[in-house]
Amino acid sequence: MLVFVLLGVSVLIFAILMTFSPERRAMTYVETPQQVKDIPQIIKQHGLDDPAHVQYFRWLKQISTGNWGWSFVAADTVWNAFWRYLPITLELNLFTTPLIIIIGIWLGTQAGIHKDTWLDHLTRIFAIIGWSLPTFLFALIMLMLFYGYFPLFPPGIIGDKVQMFILENPDKFHSYTGMYTIDGLLNGRLDITLDALRHLAMPVFTQVVVVVALLMRVMRSSMIEEISKEYVITARAKGADNKTIYFRHARKNALIPVVTVAGWLVAFSMEGSVSVEIIFNRRGIGWWLAQSAIALDIPVLMGMCLFFGLVYVVTNLVIDILYAAIDPRIRLT
Amino acid sequence: MKKYIVLLTVLGLILGAGQAFGKVKNPDTFVLADIGSVDTLDPAKNYDTAGTQKIWTLYQTLIFFDGPYTDRFAPVLATEVPTVKNGGISADGRTYVFKIRKGVRFHNGQVLTAGDVAYSLKRAMICDPAGGPMWMLLEALTGHGSTREDGKIIPGIFQKIDKAVEVKGDKVILHLPKPYPPLMGILCYSASVIINKQWAVEQGCWDGDIRHAAKYNNPPEGKEPLQSVANGTGPYRLKLWKTGDRFVFERFEDYWGPKPKIKTAIVKIVPEWSTRKLMLQNGDADRVHVGNPYVEEVKAMKGVKVYETPSLAVTGALFCQKIDPTGNDNIGSGKLDGDGIPPDFFADINVRKAFLHAYDRNTFKTDVLNGLCTLPPTPLVEGLAFYNKNTPIYPFDLQKAARYMKKAWGGKVWKKGFKMVITYNTGREEREAAALMLKENIESLNPKFRIEVRNVEWKDYMVNIRAFKYPVFIIGWGADYPDPHNFMYPYMSSNGTYGKYMGYNNPEVDRLLKAGIENVEPAKRAAAYDKLQRIWYEDALGIVLFQPKELWAYRDYVHGFVANPMFSPAYEFFHLLWKE
Repeated sequence: MLVFVLLGVSVLIFAILMTFSPERRAMTYVETPQQVKDIPQIIKQHGLDDPAHVQYFRWLKQISTGNWGWSFVAADTVWNAFWRYLPITLELNLFTTPLIIIIGIWLGTQAGIHKDTWLDHLTRIFAIIGWSLPTFLFALIMLMLFYGYFPLFPPGIIGDKVQMFILENPDKFHSYTGMYTIDGLLNGRLDITLDALRHLAMPVFTQVVVVVALLMRVMRSSMIEEISKEYVITARAKGADNKTIYFRHARKNALIPVVTVAGWLVAFSMEGSVSVEIIFNRRGIGWWLAQSAIALDIPVLMGMCLFFGLVYVVTNLVIDILYAAIDPRIRLT
Repeated sequence: MKKYIVLLTVLGLILGAGQAFGKVKNPDTFVLADIGSVDTLDPAKNYDTAGTQKIWTLYQTLIFFDGPYTDRFAPVLATEVPTVKNGGISADGRTYVFKIRKGVRFHNGQVLTAGDVAYSLKRAMICDPAGGPMWMLLEALTGHGSTREDGKIIPGIFQKIDKAVEVKGDKVILHLPKPYPPLMGILCYSASVIINKQWAVEQGCWDGDIRHAAKYNNPPEGKEPLQSVANGTGPYRLKLWKTGDRFVFERFEDYWGPKPKIKTAIVKIVPEWSTRKLMLQNGDADRVHVGNPYVEEVKAMKGVKVYETPSLAVTGALFCQKIDPTGNDNIGSGKLDGDGIPPDFFADINVRKAFLHAYDRNTFKTDVLNGLCTLPPTPLVEGLAFYNKNTPIYPFDLQKAARYMKKAWGGKVWKKGFKMVITYNTGREEREAAALMLKENIESLNPKFRIEVRNVEWKDYMVNIRAFKYPVFIIGWGADYPDPHNFMYPYMSSNGTYGKYMGYNNPEVDRLLKAGIENVEPAKRAAAYDKLQRIWYEDALGIVLFQPKELWAYRDYVHGFVANPMFSPAYEFFHLLWKE
């Protein structure tokens, strides 16, 4: 199944890319007007005027040997660049995802239980602000406040001094995961972890505020729907207390749509947040993908489409498993 | 309304953000927050300013521009600059002799020899990647602009390369097939830097045997052996390159020249202006790249020193006299019927002159570029040899413009009117402003004249220019080397980068261009370029919009900056700087 999905995705993306003329695709290797005269040479060198199927199978053959091609945006092979950028995005997701899920479910539950009270109105306002405010704008405000006015949380991934320490002491710091917060701990260097956390604080906060709103609203609606169901009225009639009704029965059932949304949010977050990565100057998958799309870096676009195809297939699988875990009526066959 | 309040709040925050400037941060470290990422460190492959800056930091050339001058050179790895007077250049201009400096070490500790110099130049020309910069040296030393023709290696080209560069004791002699005056400027370019032969061969570069040269020609993308490594004689060695993110350079303690005061130089790629601005403000960056829209903002910052320098570049609006009408909506109906223009609309000089008279260059300079430019009459810009500031221009005069339009196409243009598109590449606000100015002025002549201004993404734009799709296209050019040939050939030659796609073919121009490049005598060159500038005016080939000035924004405690029109703000010479 997975193989067919990935093949389908690759054919589709390749077909779209083939709508660009060979000249236009050759231009991806050109940065200045001076280089334009070499376009016929570049077309020949890369076989850009070969029939589409020949180019596709050439790419497929190349991929099957583990060669994902060269990314001129990353100035490295797609494979190497992917493993360099992925930890940056993963590190951000590692902190944002649990916060989004915990805060989203908790606030959504509270808003649902206390429908039309000040708490509900407050979460609604929070959700509207978070969801309607463009990410880049919110990120800019955070940067102005917490770096411009109060230089507490600088942009980037780690500070220059820490960077120099790592460079000058290769024997004292080993990169195990590519995530400085974790590698700092694994190397017994709490100062590096703290420095990385300081650089992560604003991107995490921005991402959480912007994304949590959706989960919160879904949880609230789902909770309200569950609370109004007959089994809740029956439970009340039998004398069950609110805590048991809300948290043992209603919330569990209300989680089904939330799991779907949360699953998609997690999958979506693997694409990285372009605005957050650009404004806080973090080179992750989002930045790489955006730059590659603008520059028509074809090997990256093809490789990343396969990767996201894989992520979405796996996410669907995990969501299905979670459904069964939450609702015993659902059986996996 | 809400949006505006939010935007105003953010603007207020940006403008007013903490203006407190502290003391000098990290006195022996210099941080440049730039925008351009680098795709290779191989001198034979790199062809952009960001890469050139890195290569010039790590490697050195035989000679280099002398301070602020583009036509005076200082010796670097050569002991003196060859001239006809000191016998370094032969009287016929076809032989150049360079005596190589002694006691120079590469970053790996090896000593520089004349053999390294000859190898470096030959290796770069043999490599000659498609889209690379090697056409410059190849044209000068072999007479060919490439090692390949129609995708195939030119027979005998490697032997020509081999013979062009000779080693005699501690001297390197260059033999040119024809005199080539821009050679000295080309030898300053990053493609002419000197690498360590033994190390390069170990990395997988050409083995030094000319019979094997073809194997090393035009390596595939990313396969050039020096893509991510460096071993030069420059004042800094490469400590770290995280592609798309940052470079860290460390002072080379065995450097042969004066010891640089900056110990560590860091170049960070920071694409977002607000982030760069705050880094400069907080002292986390010592210089930042400033885009045109932010010039006034940065000038108002406290604790920041701003330099405005002229630049060897030019932007023009060019007329295409041979437009391809196939499926081309840029010329409307393709006929002179009021709803379009014919493909040869601009072949009538009256149309071209009308457009030239309709452009208000002085208002453009003051209102659009805040005076941050000069207005040369032709593409041979100020700062280049043989620049003639007295070349006439077509002054802004709408009455004259109307008069020419009435004469154009036997009066049909005025009677029927026309509709067409002026294009510029996306993101260039100043080009958009010039196009809009032209549109409004032309439309004011006659209500039947209709012009649409359209922006196109740069790479699509170049493809369409090459396909003769645009009647008027606005485009820029920056110097490869400081010589008039590098400007007049692209704009005026029937085979030039732009001249060809303007559909302009004048045998007299091609003859003069040849005379300009093949003569060593300044008087003869001056005569050729003077005539070319005159023809640019007489043939009304295009509107020279402006020659930009560059802006460099440093923290005020940084000293040592030297302006040179050849350098754009992508460049930085760390070894000249200090913080105090």
